[in-house]
Order: sequence, then structure tokens, then C-alpha cells
Amino acid sequence: MKPLSGIRIADFTVHAAGPFCTHMLSQLGAECIKIESAQRLDIFRKPHAVYGRAGPATFDQVASNKLSVRLNLKHPEGVALAKRLVARSDVAAESFRAGVIERLGLGYAALREVKPDIVMTSVSSCGQTGPDSHFAGYAPLFGAWGGLGHLSGYEDGPPVEMRHVMDHSVGMNAALATMAALHKRRHTGQGCHVDVAAREVASSLAGDAMTAASSGVEMRRTGNTDPQRAPHGLYATRDDDRWLSIAVSSDVEWSTLAGIIGRPDFAQDSRYSTSEARVAARQEVDALVADWAASVDADEAAEGLQEAGIAAHVSWRAGDIADDPHMIGRGAVVPVTETDGRRRMAVGFPACFSGSDAPGMERGTPGLGEHEEYVYGALLGLGRAEQTRLVDEKVIF
Amino acid sequence: MQQDKPLAGIRVVEHASGVSAAWAGRLLAAMGAEVIMVEPPALCPLRREAPLFETGGSALFQYVAADKFSVICDLDTGEGRDALAVLLDGAQILIDDTPLADREEWSLDQESVAKRHPELVHLSVLPFGAAGPKAGWKAGEINIVHAGGEGYLLPNGLSADMFPDRPPLKIAGHFAEMQGGVAAALAALAALWSGEGQFVDASVQDANVAVGAFALQRYGDGSIEHRHSRSFRYGGVLECRDGYVELLTLEERQWQGLVRLMENPEWALDEAMSDPARRSEQGDTINHAIRAWARHHDVDELVARAQDLGVPMARYNTPEQILSGKHETARGIFQDLEVPGTGTIKIQTAPFRFAKTGLPLGAAAPAPGAHQGLLDAGDEATARRATV
Repeated sequence: MKPLSGIRIADFTVHAAGPFCTHMLSQLGAECIKIESAQRLDIFRKPHAVYGRAGPATFDQVASNKLSVRLNLKHPEGVALAKRLVARSDVAAESFRAGVIERLGLGYAALREVKPDIVMTSVSSCGQTGPDSHFAGYAPLFGAWGGLGHLSGYEDGPPVEMRHVMDHSVGMNAALATMAALHKRRHTGQGCHVDVAAREVASSLAGDAMTAASSGVEMRRTGNTDPQRAPHGLYATRDDDRWLSIAVSSDVEWSTLAGIIGRPDFAQDSRYSTSEARVAARQEVDALVADWAASVDADEAAEGLQEAGIAAHVSWRAGDIADDPHMIGRGAVVPVTETDGRRRMAVGFPACFSGSDAPGMERGTPGLGEHEEYVYGALLGLGRAEQTRLVDEKVIF
Repeated sequence: MQQDKPLAGIRVVEHASGVSAAWAGRLLAAMGAEVIMVEPPALCPLRREAPLFETGGSALFQYVAADKFSVICDLDTGEGRDALAVLLDGAQILIDDTPLADREEWSLDQESVAKRHPELVHLSVLPFGAAGPKAGWKAGEINIVHAGGEGYLLPNGLSADMFPDRPPLKIAGHFAEMQGGVAAALAALAALWSGEGQFVDASVQDANVAVGAFALQRYGDGSIEHRHSRSFRYGGVLECRDGYVELLTLEERQWQGLVRLMENPEWALDEAMSDPARRSEQGDTINHAIRAWARHHDVDELVARAQDLGVPMARYNTPEQILSGKHETARGIFQDLEVPGTGTIKIQTAPFRFAKTGLPLGAAAPAPGAHQGLLDAGDEATARRATV
């Protein structure tokens, strides 16, 4: 049995951050019912000009493993049906702009009336309260508001735009908070409304810098450098655009590295033998490593450094990840079937369990409304004629 | 005991030397779990990790250890290992990031822990997990952000345009390691929910691959992303007179708002700009124009007008602007805590909340061994002192 077997989620989330939350819980075994509408298709069911996609996606990571029903939330009967679904669920998740779900008649107070111990999870850009709560946003804006953007970048360059890892970080945090709320329900019998603000997730991921700044420390962009470690960075290797990351954390590691790069005389050289000295002579140290790296095979070098006890890894591209036997063996990368039947690699759950069945995906992306017979028929008990009427009246739509 | 928090009543023992495991513990502490750090006599190395306060203490440690308890326990001794075992008898979750090779010596290997504590959720947090050919590999933040695929794709947009030949870039601070912590905490709570005492093997690399899922998704679509080409066609980071803003117009109405924000310049009203596909083709031209336009404006003036016009634009906030932000202050996301020798500091309590008000932190990060009484107080040998 998967860890969350028996948990049901009514999933109203759209785009990336919210759906990633329920996607994580779904992989852990929760039954996740994605509530959609042909009136307003989710992003993966439409062409995506930014990504140059001319039609719908044949596979969407964050929709995979979910069940799909159509439901028109602008229709009063659609709202009533949504409430019936929530009444049969443990979690209701949504990611509309703050205030929208209330206006639809499906706010926390309304849901609690039909399911007193419901755990409702709201994911939004700025949270459910506060003067900016009405702002919509995207991942790069979350990173900008939350300080990660300002703090990331080359020392002499501009801030860096955060991309979808920002959205999915929000979803991962939301999944964790939802899980905690379920524990609370188990122990107290009470549900609650989980409020996850994307910009607060962004600032939490740079919370050490916020805390330092609060005592007057000036926090700036520092590129790939580390204030306490050198060498520390990305080094070009013999193959074009194949970079090797190295982080030396101790004097012993430096001594080992000095031998590997063919400069054992620098192991005990007082210019480089202590962390403080190396940090002070960062550019010289980097140049020594860069000279060596320029002629090595990145993958072989990373293995050799790891064998010698030095943290190193190639800067991996998606293709490296898709083919990696380590992650495939762990189920962190898994084969999935697209809606058109093709097989491809996708991302699994980032942990393994010794006592529960392995988390992961059992289905690819659902067709729009693919699971209405189960959800409206078996789960909510609507007869065939009633379902047909609701389709004809554009409630199931 | 903090009865009103969701994880009240859950006891967690944390044996962590890295950010990932410590962040997992910190998130559980914020949600009400009693998290007891077990520190070696040389103390948790995060106590010395940058960023540092002017007074020398670690801001990182204050952030990731807030609301935790501290005991010092020497696992090199039988007494220390016994004391840890007794502590674990009363715990539901153990978080451990000891390298695999050292676990058996400290009785922290999967088998030893399961034998003595069959009901326990034993959460292992390692850079590449506890199983597989790379389980013994080491990694710092910079290695993990690149092992997870996102590092190769950074920077994009303005920074990549300005410095196309520079190496790829990490995200600030401990972004990737914290991803590992969040995923690990989620996995631990899922295991606890299952009712099965068990070993949970969390990998920080896997967590980063998970949050970077779109790269693999796009790869499956036949698209290989690269930092030089994955930029949005136009918009992104804009330099203003006094700072930077982020601009992203994905919808047609947002573009129309931007044209009004720029006071309807002739180039933007051109027929060639009227359709989204044609605009995408002319991204470089648009960027050239909007970058020149933005340099004549102040950040706050631009952002305020953009918001009125429904244009998604945000200020690239400095930490100081976030600490004193109206929105952040209204939501009370930071809490003042008093740190002896350093003074009053602000700590973001948590990245989520369970009610209209945030989760209050109970205390600043503990002094070493501040809660030594939580170990078996009757056994003098366990009452070890810090050696530093």
C-alpha cells in the first residue's frame, strides 16, 4: 500500500505550482481528482507560444496520475456538484488568485459546511491576506518579490530570473503543509485552511540572507563563490559547454586536489593551505583548477574527485538525467506512457520507502473528463440519465 | 507543547550536519513538532556556516535551528549511542544525514535503527540518497544544483545576454539543499501517516530533479533547453534608474497593458506587433526598446502604474525591502527573536500557514546542549559537554 492510500483530493488547481502539490500527494498514493472545464483549459491542454508548442501536450508531468472530470464552476449546479465531491474528499486544493474561489462559492467556509474536517489548501502568489493578495504572478515574479532573484546572479551583473523550479518549490511546500494538516486532522478531528504564498516560499529559500540582513549584514549577489570555501565553482572541461562543479570544503580536500591537478607542491603552500588563505586568493586558486579542468573529461574527472573524497558533479542536462542508471534505479526517473501511447522518461517521487509501496505514477496524463463515469457514477452515485442531463445542460462541461 | 500547531505532540530527533536535513527538521519544528538536535561534542557544523553576523554567529544556523532543542551526545562512545537510543524510544521520526560509510559505527544504519525502533520513521537525507551507485557521493549546494539539472539552465534572460561566455550559475544560498529538506520532510510525514515504522531514503538530487521536472518533460517533447535559449522571448529582468524589475506578459491583455504603460510608443502600435506569434519573432527588437524605456523610470513608479494596468511586474526586492515590506509586515511573516550577543534578529517563521495568522516561533536557535536534560539525566556519562 502506498503511504497516502485512502486519501482523496478534490483538485481545483491550475498551471504549475498548485498542480505540483497534488501531483506529489498523488504519487504518494492519494486519489487525486482534477476538476477541469472545456471552457477554460489548463495550460497543458492548450498550445503554448512561449514553449513553441503548437497543440496540447501529450504528457504533462503535474497532471499525470490524476483522474479528470469536467465541471462548470460558473453554473450553480456545477458548484453544487463540486461540493458533493468535496464532501467525499479529505483535501480540497486550489490555486486561483486570492478571493476567486470564494466568489465561486467554494471558499473554506462553504466547503467546511459540506465537510467539517476538510483540509483546504490554497496556493497563490501573495497569500490569502495582505495588501498584495490580489496580485497574480508567475514564477519569475515570485522570485523577484521574495528576494531570490536579487540575491542570485554574477557579482557584477543583474538579478536572475527564477523559472519553473520556483513554481514547483511552492508546490512541494504546499504538499508538505497539506500533509501536516492531515496529521492535525487525525489527532484533533479538525480540518484547516492551508495558505501557501509563492513569494513567501521564495523568501523562505533565502531566509538565511533575510536573517543576516536583519542584523545589518549587507547581502549581495556573489555568483558561484562561497564565502568560506575555495575552490568553489564551475569549471570548463575539454568538451564544449560541459562544466564541472567542484566544492572544496576542507584543507585535507585541498591537499588531495592539489595532487590531482598535478600541483602537490601547493598542498602545504601557505598561500593556499588554509580555507581563509584560499578564499583570499580565490582567483588564483580558481585559475589553477581551471587550467587542469580544461583538458579533462568532465564525467571521468567527477568520478575521480568523488573517489578521492571531493564533492564534484558535472553540470547535467536533461539528457544526462533521463539516462542516469542511479536515478532510474531509485525510481527518481521513470518511464511513462503518453496519451498517444509513446514511452518517455519522467520524474518520479524523490524518496524511497522501505515499508510502503513505492510512490510513483501509474497513469500518464488523463484525457479531459476521462474519469467521469467513476467519479460522477460510482463515487457520487449519479445515474446515467442524470449525467447525460448535466452534460446537455453544460454543467459537466 | 504547542497544541495549536498541526504537528503538536510529534517528537523528532535530528542528527544533521548539512542544510537539507536541518531544513527538514526546521519545517517540522515550525509546524509544532518537538525537534531535538543531537549535536556531537564538536557541535553542529552549521553553527559556523555563512552568512555570519558581524558578531560572528551564523545567521544560517539561527534560521534553520530556530525553535529546536539541543543536546550534545558523543556517538563515538557506547554511552552516547545508548543515550541516543533512549531518546529515540520516545520519538516518532529520526532525521539523519550521516554519510553511509559512518552509520554502522554510530548504530545509525538502517538495520540497527529498525531493530531497536521498529515503530520509528527513520528519515535518511543524503545528497544522492542511501541506495544506488552514487549513494556515497558527496555534494555541496553548487554540486547539487548542477546534478539536478537547473544549474545548467542558469542564468537565463538579461544575465545570459550580458555574459554569454561565463559558466552557468547557482541560485543564491542553499536553494537546492532546501529543496531536499522540503521533500524529505514531506516523505517523513507520509511515512508517519502510513502507520508503518520504516526507513525513508530521501535524495537531495532527486528532489531537485523533481522541482526541475519541466526540463525532463521538454526533453521528452524533443526540446533541449539551454540557458541561452530558454528565456522568455521578451520581458524578463529590466534595469530601471534605481533598481531592477521583472516583467512578464504572457496574455494578450497584459501586452496591451504594457503598451499603455509605455504610453503607446509608435513601434509598439505597429501592425507587426499586433499578433503574439509575430511579437515572439521580434523578441530582440522588443527587448531593445523596453530595456531602453525602463532605464528612464524609477522602480516604484513603474511597478505601481503596471499594477494599475494589469501588467505583471514586480520589483526585484532586496532583503531589506522584504524585511520592511508592507505586505510582509501585514502578514507578519517575520518574527523578532533575541539572540544573546547579536541582538534582535528577524526570522521568517515558515513558508506556509494554517490560519489567517502565521506560525509563531517559540524560541531562537538553542545554545549548545541547552536541553541536555532531555537525554537520560540519570546517566552522568551522557551529560557530555561541548569541546569547542
